[in-house]
Order: sequence, then C-alpha cells, then structure tokens
Amino acid sequence: MELVFLLICGGLAVISSLLVIFARSTLHSALWMVFSFFMVAVIYVLLHAQFLAMLQIIIYAGAIMMFIIFAVMMLNLRQERDAKVNTRISKVVGVGALIVLFLELMLVSLGQNLNAIQGPITDTLVATYGRVAVISNFLFADYLLPFEVVSILLTAGVIGAVVLAKRVK
Amino acid sequence: MIENQSIYLALSVVLFIIGAAGAVCRRNAIVVFMCIEIMLGGVSIAFVTFSRAHQSLDGIFMVLFVMAVAAAEAAVGLAIFVLMYRKHGSIDLDKFNLLKW
Repeated sequence: MELVFLLICGGLAVISSLLVIFARSTLHSALWMVFSFFMVAVIYVLLHAQFLAMLQIIIYAGAIMMFIIFAVMMLNLRQERDAKVNTRISKVVGVGALIVLFLELMLVSLGQNLNAIQGPITDTLVATYGRVAVISNFLFADYLLPFEVVSILLTAGVIGAVVLAKRVK
Repeated sequence: MIENQSIYLALSVVLFIIGAAGAVCRRNAIVVFMCIEIMLGGVSIAFVTFSRAHQSLDGIFMVLFVMAVAAAEAAVGLAIFVLMYRKHGSIDLDKFNLLKW
C-alpha cells in the first residue's frame, strides 16, 4: 500500500517538476510548482514526518508560492524567447555533465550499506509522546541556538527585502 | 534500513537533477528560482529518509532550517527581481552579466 502511494506520488512529483521547467508561461510553472510541493508533502507523510508535511504545505505551497505568484503578476513578463545555445559543444557538455552528476548521486545514495547508528527516536517513543512533542523537546533544547540564529536570519531577510524594494527618491 | 528506502533516495536524486537541469536551461529568473526550490525539495526528501532510517530527528531539523532559509531567500530574491525589472524592463538572466568580463 505504501509502495503504491509512493510510486504514484513520486511519479506525479517528478512529472509536475518537469512541467515547471517546460511550461511556457511563468504562471503555469508556478502553479505546477504548487502541485509538486503538495506531492512532496505526501512523501513526507509516507516517511512519518507529518509535522514537516504540514509545514511544507503552509510555508512552501502557501507563503513562498504566494510571493512568487505576486512577483509574476506584478512584473508583466513577456513570453520568453527560445534559449540561444550557441554551439553544439555546450549542449553536449551540459547534458553530459548532468548525466554524470545523476549517475554519481545514484551511486552514492544507493550503492552503499546505510545501516548506521540507530538513534533514540524509536516508534514506541513517538507513539507515547506524539511526533510534535518529541520534535519540540529537541528543538527547544538541543537545537535552541540554530533556532535563534534562524529567527535572526528571517528578520534580516525581511529588512533586506524592504530596503531593496524601496523606491529611491 | 526502512522499506522502500532506495525508492525514496532515487526520487530525491531525480528531483535534484530535474531542478539542476531547469536552473541551467531556463533564462527566466523566477523559473530558475523555482528550480532551485525543486532542488531543495529533493535534498529535503533525502534528509527525511535518512532521519527515519536512523531513528533520529537531525534530518527533520535540517529540513526545518532549509525551509526557513528558503523563505528568507524568497523574500530577498524576489525583491532583487523587482529591482532588476525596474532597471532593465525584463528579468532575462542572459541580460544580467554585470559581473562578467
């Protein structure tokens, strides 16, 4: 059952990601991107990371894609012309480099035995306390410093965006 | 080792490669930005898979922080696109070669 869901949603994620690239209109790309994020959220659920799936939908499909669609609609983009690839060599080199990268990553991720140390978060622990309780216990104890640094980063990002987009008089 | 682990990892690699190909091929800055988000999504799937396989939460926290950084990146990046559009009337990446000699 899990395998069926994984294959369907993984396939849809791959197809919608390809459509993001091949769609002619930027707005269509953005909408396919939303679909792709939903499929990735389903895959998080299959991996028992329900909290992340919710965050994926709220942050990515909600907040970030809203930003992008706002930008697309404000900028009045003209239809993009075909990319001018100057030589056949650049095509061959580009495709070759991507294939090499693909094979390399596949080899690294599938080719070795990945039974490493088992951590403390067993399924019984999660069943007792609940996934979010376990996550928050770790987030506000072990990961407190990174958490605060990320909040500073977000503040800096907001200030940077306002400063950049402000019209200079 | 969880069941179907290799399928999850293969999916993450495929998403990463699709994102990389799109980031290289497309010239519209917003589409390139979205392709980078696809790459981040692929890497996140790998993180969550390893997190589940090793019964650890570190991968999940990594994905949380990736999401926060992606949100900050979206805010700053789109502000830069708006500036680029205001200055040149398009966000075609081939026209932005200010740093190229």
